[in-house]
Amino acid sequence: MTSTPLPEEQPPAPRLNATQLPDVDVPQPSGNAPLVVDENTDLSTLTPAQLYELNQRTLDESTRSSSDLPLIAAVAPIRVLREEYDGAPAFVRQIDFLATKGYHGIRRTRGDGDCFYRSLAFAYIERIMSTPDPALEATIAISTLDAAVPLLETVGFDKFAYEDFYEELLGLLRRVGSGAPDQLSPETLLSAFQAPEVSTAIVVFLRLLTSAQIRCDPDAFDAFLFHPDFGNQMTARDFCESFVEPTGKEADHVQMTALARALKVNAKVAYLDGHDPNGAVDFVSFESALDPSTPPVVLLYRPGHYDILDTRSLEAIQL
Amino acid sequence: MSSVYMRRLGKELMDIQCDGLPEGVRLLSADNMQSWFFTIQVLGQSLYEGEVFALEFRFDNSYPFSAPAVLFVKDRTYAPPIHPHVYSNGHICASILGDDWSPSLSVTAVCITLQSMLASCKEKKLPPGNDTYVRTAPDNPKKTRFVYEDDTCDPLLCVS
Repeated sequence: MTSTPLPEEQPPAPRLNATQLPDVDVPQPSGNAPLVVDENTDLSTLTPAQLYELNQRTLDESTRSSSDLPLIAAVAPIRVLREEYDGAPAFVRQIDFLATKGYHGIRRTRGDGDCFYRSLAFAYIERIMSTPDPALEATIAISTLDAAVPLLETVGFDKFAYEDFYEELLGLLRRVGSGAPDQLSPETLLSAFQAPEVSTAIVVFLRLLTSAQIRCDPDAFDAFLFHPDFGNQMTARDFCESFVEPTGKEADHVQMTALARALKVNAKVAYLDGHDPNGAVDFVSFESALDPSTPPVVLLYRPGHYDILDTRSLEAIQL
Repeated sequence: MSSVYMRRLGKELMDIQCDGLPEGVRLLSADNMQSWFFTIQVLGQSLYEGEVFALEFRFDNSYPFSAPAVLFVKDRTYAPPIHPHVYSNGHICASILGDDWSPSLSVTAVCITLQSMLASCKEKKLPPGNDTYVRTAPDNPKKTRFVYEDDTCDPLLCVS
């Protein structure tokens, strides 16, 4: 059973963002001029109705802008990314560097905080599909997962709370190289990952797997569990409950290490940060595959977001 | 997401019927897949000794990817607890019902967390700004965006 007991110490009481809210309804300003709010606005000067509008608008904007994009897209040429950084030579040089290393394409994911897990899951299955014997590789992947799943119960997850999510991932892996009519193809893999139900279920399962890996291996992880904003050390349980298990929480080094270990994959993350004067890109490797020579899945990291790098500039699929 | 939602709620209900609920929590009704009711009491010594509250869980087809809407019932029989994180309309400020929700949590896990929230209360008082919030609050607490100030899961209220 998992739960989030509140700390022993009663935390301070919630308080209003705007402590000076008028206690009676203030007449609306005349006219229908849109409310302009920026960082200089004193929220205490707003009426309750204006605050309502502000809050609603922010919510609408944040949900709309992200839901216009597919959860994960087909491969696009890397020059598309290059054009976006037009005027930022430090980034352009790094993108050109990636191209010289053979990365001619990018597969974008939606920036919803789940992009690391979604990218890794997609690239992981795609990698299995590209091996000489995909059916065998898929069987190995399934047995790795089957061996890891009991950890979820060990750390206290209810079976009913993860088995449906696991089943979605297994369902896809079983279709790799199966020879059956529903054998996974690049098209059906992409459409599965674009379908919210399948895609989110897999993200959730990988989050729980990551959490279990962190919680079950204190020697490897406990020394690195810090609050991402405040820097204080956290217990594995608190860290996982706050920054691994909830959807929408971005992954950092700890989560990447843990998931690579749980899945036994090799992964490389290219950091596109504009820092290197010569345009070189740092790759951080997570090597956990049983066979160290297994080619890694390669992700592109820009602060706050992960996409997948691809050696192809386009993929030959019909959408 | 409807199939996951129905399957999951079915399993949770079966789990409740087979394994029971934590001590102090009782099922009032779960007649449909939209809304379940429970009573909840705090065990042992607390400021709420002898008090019984009712909780309403509202589900839609985004469950369990997104948290259920959970509120304390306010009707002729039940009143919400007076607590610094519970508004007098029954809305609850708790991070696991918002940003910290995880699909691995469940109805039972939420009940345990709320029991623990009540048990650790040191002073019965309403949240500051209760009147303003209650006056402007939407019916569905999930439409309120609560902002969490720091790692103690202490929510601020952003007027919805």
